[in-house]
Amino acid sequence: MSQLLDILTTAAILYAVAAGLLIVFGVMKIINFAHGGFLTVGGYSALAVTKLGIDPWFALAFAFVIGFVCGMIIERLVVRPLYSRPLDAILATWGLGIIIGQVITLAFGREVQFVQSPVTGAVGLLGASYSEYRLILVVIAVVLAVALGLILNGTRLGLVTRAVIMNEDLARGLGINSGLVRFATFSLGAGLASLAGALITPLSSVDPNMGVPWLVNAFMLVMVSGVSLVSLAFACLVLGGAQVLVSTYGNPILGGLTIVVLAALVLRFRAQGFARD
Amino acid sequence: MSNGTITGAATMASQPHRRSHANLRNIAILTVVALLIVGVGPYVLPTYMVNSLIRAFLYAAVALTVDVLWGYTGILTFGQSAFFGIGAYAAGLVFTHLGFTPGYATLSFFGAVFAAMLAAAIVGWLAFYHGASPLYGSVITLVLPIVVSQILYSGGNFTGSSSGLSGFESFDISIETWFWIAGAFLVLLTAGAWIFVRSDAGKILIAIRDNEQRCEYLGINVSRVKILLLVVCAAIAGIAGYAFAGVQMVVAPEYAGFVFGTELLIWVALGGRGTLIGPVLGTLVLDVSTSYLSGNLPYVWKLIIGVAFVVVIVALPGGLMPLAIASWRRLLRRGRAVDAETTVLVPAEEEPFAGLQGGGQHALTLTEVSKHFGSLKVLEGIAFQAQRGELLSLVGPNGAGKTTLMRCIADGDERSRGSILINDHDIQRLPPYSCVAFGVGRKFQTANVFDSLTVAQALRIARTRLKRPSFWQRAPTLELPQAALQVIAATGLDQHLDLEARHLAHGQKQALELAMVLALEPSVLLLDEPTAGLTKPERTRIGGILVDLATAHRLCILLVEHDLDFVREISSRVIVLHQGKIVLDGTVSEVVESELVRSIYSGAVLPSASAA
Amino acid sequence: MSANALEVTGLSSGYGEALVVRDIALVVKPGEIFSLLGKNGMGKSTLLKTLMGYLPIKSGSVRVFDRDITGQPPHRVARQAIAYSPQEKALFQDLTVEDNLRLGLRDDAQFDPGLDRIGKVFNFLPTRLKQRAGTLSGGEQKMLLVARALMSEPKIMLIDEISEGLQPSVIDRLAGVLRAERDRAGTAILLIEQNVKFALSVADRYAVLKMGEIMDRGDVGEPDAESRIAAQLSV
Repeated sequence: MSQLLDILTTAAILYAVAAGLLIVFGVMKIINFAHGGFLTVGGYSALAVTKLGIDPWFALAFAFVIGFVCGMIIERLVVRPLYSRPLDAILATWGLGIIIGQVITLAFGREVQFVQSPVTGAVGLLGASYSEYRLILVVIAVVLAVALGLILNGTRLGLVTRAVIMNEDLARGLGINSGLVRFATFSLGAGLASLAGALITPLSSVDPNMGVPWLVNAFMLVMVSGVSLVSLAFACLVLGGAQVLVSTYGNPILGGLTIVVLAALVLRFRAQGFARD
Repeated sequence: MSNGTITGAATMASQPHRRSHANLRNIAILTVVALLIVGVGPYVLPTYMVNSLIRAFLYAAVALTVDVLWGYTGILTFGQSAFFGIGAYAAGLVFTHLGFTPGYATLSFFGAVFAAMLAAAIVGWLAFYHGASPLYGSVITLVLPIVVSQILYSGGNFTGSSSGLSGFESFDISIETWFWIAGAFLVLLTAGAWIFVRSDAGKILIAIRDNEQRCEYLGINVSRVKILLLVVCAAIAGIAGYAFAGVQMVVAPEYAGFVFGTELLIWVALGGRGTLIGPVLGTLVLDVSTSYLSGNLPYVWKLIIGVAFVVVIVALPGGLMPLAIASWRRLLRRGRAVDAETTVLVPAEEEPFAGLQGGGQHALTLTEVSKHFGSLKVLEGIAFQAQRGELLSLVGPNGAGKTTLMRCIADGDERSRGSILINDHDIQRLPPYSCVAFGVGRKFQTANVFDSLTVAQALRIARTRLKRPSFWQRAPTLELPQAALQVIAATGLDQHLDLEARHLAHGQKQALELAMVLALEPSVLLLDEPTAGLTKPERTRIGGILVDLATAHRLCILLVEHDLDFVREISSRVIVLHQGKIVLDGTVSEVVESELVRSIYSGAVLPSASAA
Repeated sequence: MSANALEVTGLSSGYGEALVVRDIALVVKPGEIFSLLGKNGMGKSTLLKTLMGYLPIKSGSVRVFDRDITGQPPHRVARQAIAYSPQEKALFQDLTVEDNLRLGLRDDAQFDPGLDRIGKVFNFLPTRLKQRAGTLSGGEQKMLLVARALMSEPKIMLIDEISEGLQPSVIDRLAGVLRAERDRAGTAILLIEQNVKFALSVADRYAVLKMGEIMDRGDVGEPDAESRIAAQLSV
């Protein structure tokens, strides 16, 4: 039972972490390697808020806003000139991740710090006791997934975004300013990454390089998911589940490799990964 | 230009040949100078600097392999650190667990090289399969160091886990000697890489970077080239890692990790990708400065590097080396150095194609060829035969399936059903480079050339399949079949042999691609709108050449063309495609007079149309 | 309304260094249907893409109702009340009919009145709103394409080979729709065509494009129009 919950909560966390990266990849066809940096920004936003004694729940909103603003600035200055050079965009955003990490180190120090959790304790669930915060994360991830789904499928903004994902040239010919859509998407992706960073910090700790391992897993999940949020949920469940099982019955360090290795193999034999053709 | 003049020019070949040797001599002089600098280094430099430089030399050797892979071949790799780590651990593990003896040192050296090469072969198989996207290749090179370092973390006492291995016995060599070994290793490696990338074989790397698809359709097995290159680069990184463990007597998982892999990329990018010297100097300067500065201002220094990296990638993708060279030249008031040297074209000895001798064989046989995209049928039941000497035009409205049919003939994996025989060889599911070996040459619709190679270099790439290029020098002459020479002479390309293809006019690019395809000595020539975007005189000239290729050189030419006037003038036979099916297969006059064709072409019957 | 709807002067453009269209001059007045004829590969689609701002203009200018739009990006051009219907990949195949129609508008408020109008012309559309565009038949897709263009009541329509691959009855129907819209709203229409019969039945004026240059032009009503076009287009 608790293993099932582990799988579910792990998938939820992975989904929250990877969603922003997927949206950026879908619209802009570039991999944002600063995603790890934005996660770190979110973690430290949460740290700053809780240190000031403000309600930890507020940290989530704060982290989102900070990430969004960082995304706006970075899209204009760095990402926009690299639209036609996707591999260089990977490098430049990785460099941004380094910059973010160093700025945070200078501001907060390089040591590992702990963030107060909004809720502590465990709840009894079907005879087992389980971390309340992890369960709340599942709820948040589901809310996030539903909200993204509603925005994409239920609003004009979402329609315009989907149009740009499917055929950017055609969308432009219909009067859609795809540059603006890219700008908004990158900012949203950064905001979501930062939000995810704030969400995961109570589970572990913050340090200036906390984003890197998450970045790699999120990147691989996005690679196997194509540009579909539904495939992403599926990939998080399958690969996240495999990670939990390998960690439990094998060894936690090898468990950490599960997603990366499985995703690479899936792509080798099925180039579109878990996405429909 | 007559053939006589071309052959006659071959006697002039001695001078460029001397030039090629002069280049090698210059490299030799530079190498000796660099070795001398390395030789005096330990006597004039402070000990701390000597220590830092030993490490930087070894890092620079790895950075050099990153530059060959990324800067020259276009493979963005995060994974060279893994091979370095494998080499380092091969030494560390053997020396820690078995002890240090000359025998074990030798064993672990070969173990290091072998393990790195094996890992590279596996990674290459994963990353560079036929049709893999460049992004996927990069993904795999990113996975590799993560996997290797995590395995090292999980190795418990055997690998020392996160603290790694240290304090093992190692070579009893003075620090000065290590400096000489590492320095000489780097200098000789750089010189070797320099000679290689400038050689005829080295140009294949640039060709792959510029246009992988064109390489495959010139008969080059790109996957195999990339895998071999990666294996060699891995061996070099493994040796560097082995030496690193030997001198530092410490190994840790970070040296095999992804972050070190990206650090190598930063050094290469800042130094200047695709310049070899830039990445080497970049690594030396940055790593040594880091060891001095990171003590005083640890985070600020890394921040500065990060900012510089982003700025260079965005605003100065070539890195700092080209900038330095340009200002150096301006200082000396010298013009652009001429890298390319004059190449002399000579006629190749053409082997009569096997298909000719057998007699009664068909150049091209298609049986029930179909192509579906999901439920959409693009081609259905295409069947025809063609012989050498035929100039067969494929016509039909947009979406009739003409280009798709060309693709199916040149790549075995394209069609959904049916069989295709080229000179009686079944192409099965074989990739384009195998179809080339059966005698197919394909020219693409838009001029598909190598932008940063000169005309002569591009033509030599096309000859790779028939004549193995040198790995260390540039041949002064280039053998080409008569057909290719004729196209080159007729379009004036022979005046621009040393011009990079991106500077050519559109029509000349089209001619260059045609000449490249002819250099393959194909018997079946696939041409997709070879005259698109050309002026009227250029079209006429190309048309004349095509007729000559079919009649004099006995090529079987399949031509896709929209300009029906052009088709009428040159074809010996016309196939009309409509909605994926052959609706007419006949002579030019049959097609011209066909009411059916006219109605297909104008969307409806044109009442008073007459074949003017 | 004395201004020309569309005025192209000395326009040259192409891909990379290759010029595909050369020195094009043409004028379309409000309420006029202008047909540009030519065979495959003669630069017709390239010309439209250049007008829409997809391709860089090498020389010349484009004016819309006396306003210079030379060098504007596609979304700015489209916002000059121009509806562009490309020849290929013109619909979002994986979106519903409704979403495709919504994308023809600048905002959703005009959707219901727009659908009312369109529904009268293409009465199958209102009943099929939830169907994916890619599952419509070829003819239905072309009608959806025209419907999407009409949703925003454009002042100028640029239409690339709408008749391609369609059966005569559908072609006739589209011809009727375009003429009716021109009569009703005074729309200027630039029609790129290979189908001479269709073009002559709809257009007021024509020009023939060959190897990127205009070779001939005239009024459709002139008695020798058909034979002149035939001479230019003959196999």
